[in-house]
Amino acid sequence: MKKALTLILALTLALSLCACGGGDPKPTGSGNEPSAASSELNIFMWGDYISETLISDFEKANNCTVNLSYMSDNADSITKLTAGAGDSYDLIMTCDAYMESLIKGGYLEQLDHEQIPNADANINEAYWFGDNRDYCVPYLMNYIYIVYDTERCPIDITCYNDLIRPEMAGQIGSIDGARNLFPMALIALGYDPNSTNESEIKEAYEWLTKFNENVVAYGATQENIVNGTISCMLTYDGNASWAMNELGENNTLTIAPFTSDPVQLGFDLFVVPKGAKHTDLAHKFLNYICEPEVMAANLVDFPYSCPNDAAVAAASDAYRNDPAFDFDYKTNIFFQKDVGDALAIYDQYYQMLKVGE
Amino acid sequence: MTKNKRLRRRKAARILSNLYAVLVYSVFYIPVAVMIVFSFNDAKRNYYWQGFTTEWYGKLFSFANTDLWDALLYSLIIAVLATLISVTIGVLGGIGLKKFEFRTKRFINMMIYVPIIVPEIVLAVAMLIIFMTVGIRLGMGTILIGHCTFCIPYAVVTIKGRITGDSETLQEASMDLGANRFQTFWRVTVPSIMPGILSSAFLAFTLSIDDVVMSNMLAGPSQSTLPVLILSLNRTGITPDVNALTTVMVALMVAGMLALNGVQRYLKKRENRLAAEAESKRSSAHAA
Repeated sequence: MKKALTLILALTLALSLCACGGGDPKPTGSGNEPSAASSELNIFMWGDYISETLISDFEKANNCTVNLSYMSDNADSITKLTAGAGDSYDLIMTCDAYMESLIKGGYLEQLDHEQIPNADANINEAYWFGDNRDYCVPYLMNYIYIVYDTERCPIDITCYNDLIRPEMAGQIGSIDGARNLFPMALIALGYDPNSTNESEIKEAYEWLTKFNENVVAYGATQENIVNGTISCMLTYDGNASWAMNELGENNTLTIAPFTSDPVQLGFDLFVVPKGAKHTDLAHKFLNYICEPEVMAANLVDFPYSCPNDAAVAAASDAYRNDPAFDFDYKTNIFFQKDVGDALAIYDQYYQMLKVGE
Repeated sequence: MTKNKRLRRRKAARILSNLYAVLVYSVFYIPVAVMIVFSFNDAKRNYYWQGFTTEWYGKLFSFANTDLWDALLYSLIIAVLATLISVTIGVLGGIGLKKFEFRTKRFINMMIYVPIIVPEIVLAVAMLIIFMTVGIRLGMGTILIGHCTFCIPYAVVTIKGRITGDSETLQEASMDLGANRFQTFWRVTVPSIMPGILSSAFLAFTLSIDDVVMSNMLAGPSQSTLPVLILSLNRTGITPDVNALTTVMVALMVAGMLALNGVQRYLKKRENRLAAEAESKRSSAHAA
């Protein structure tokens, strides 16, 4: 009997080991050699964020399979990269705030710009920044700006400091997150939005407590402004677009006409992780999504702000006339940067803001 | 007078206990009901109700959005394999830990709870690092191993709980009557713990199919599981076809539960019938 049991145990073990081997795609063997064309491209990105037609057209044109797998949080891509699983992928989506530490940590392959001429030709110069150009290609982006209802909002908003005026009590809805709220306060106070100075962050916290008093709700900004709960919101341009289109002809929402305060711009961008197996196809893909017509078609399904000027020019009328993208300070922007150890200070004051002292 | 009072009090107690049950069950089922209602929502994203349509079911069953179906299939394969592996190990482990005496038994019995207690994210990150260090490629195999680590303890604990003194007496009786260990195992032990096997199988299947943390960390580049895909969609707003798919899944799960119930009732009936037959045989033999 003991022997029979041992046999069953051994069989189970063997079975589970077989299963381990079975699920994995076999490496195609082409490695980094540019001579043999890859037949497989593995992309790790947000779900429902790229057109299926774009993917299948690319597959047909290059006679390859594109495997998409999805992340549930921006930190997912960082975990995969830093744990060493990066080389299972050929392209990983991340956001601009992580770029500095990813480059410093040596987690990324340098891009060969000769293979991606479309990116250089079509992406607006204002959206390449620092060393990033060597390592990433911006895909889509989002502004975080102020939108208000011209009929219901008590005052016209032209700068962040207008948001803490007493007239705005009970009028504001806002997106949440320490690194979305603190930069706004720091700019209102005249400081660097990525400040690492504790006394400046403390002042920003005090500014935000006043802002907090005027806020009705965090999150669901677009629904709240459409149903009339709020008359002013700090939000993403994609949310504003949804709200403005929802109101249609009755739209009285307008993007606050800022004159000097910069607005935050965030990017979703593609990077090639260190040790990627199919860098040739990755470059082809990056070049492909930067083709004006390809990206213009993609914008029909995913009407978000796009750094590719030529694609915007080629996009549908509906996209180009979207009121949410119609404002004139698009290049008066700031980016979220790695604040290093100061992140703990931000978190501390953010928690105080949320739960009280 | 007092009788009336008592009756009234009993009635009040019954209403209160019913109300209590309704409240508890509404917390369970109102979200599911809302989820199902929103699968008929005539809007591109599920922000709020905009009108009735069955379009999403049409879209779902036209198999145009292969992403969702691929992810579901992937999740199902993993769940079935994880169930088979953990129930097999659970049966062996449960019997072994109940029946045999050995020096480290208490320690091993205690250690089986560790994967249940340790937060899943800790196990997931630890596994990711180990797989990376050893050089195992992430994929279905790694997710499967991850799922088994938390399904096996539940299976062992559930099955161990089913083995009672009765089943041990039965096993001894069976071997007294000339069955060897193997026959005893298949024809006496396994049937006697069948309800435990079935419920641990359901438990393992459920745990595996809705797992996010392990699947997220240990997934390879080729495919995501359904829960991971749904969580990823959450960024831009979940589309009603996801609601439609989950409604179909809920319907299937309910059907599965009913089937399990039916099987368990059949087993119980058969057991009773066999017992009755044995009883009548014995009494007729006695009479002769």
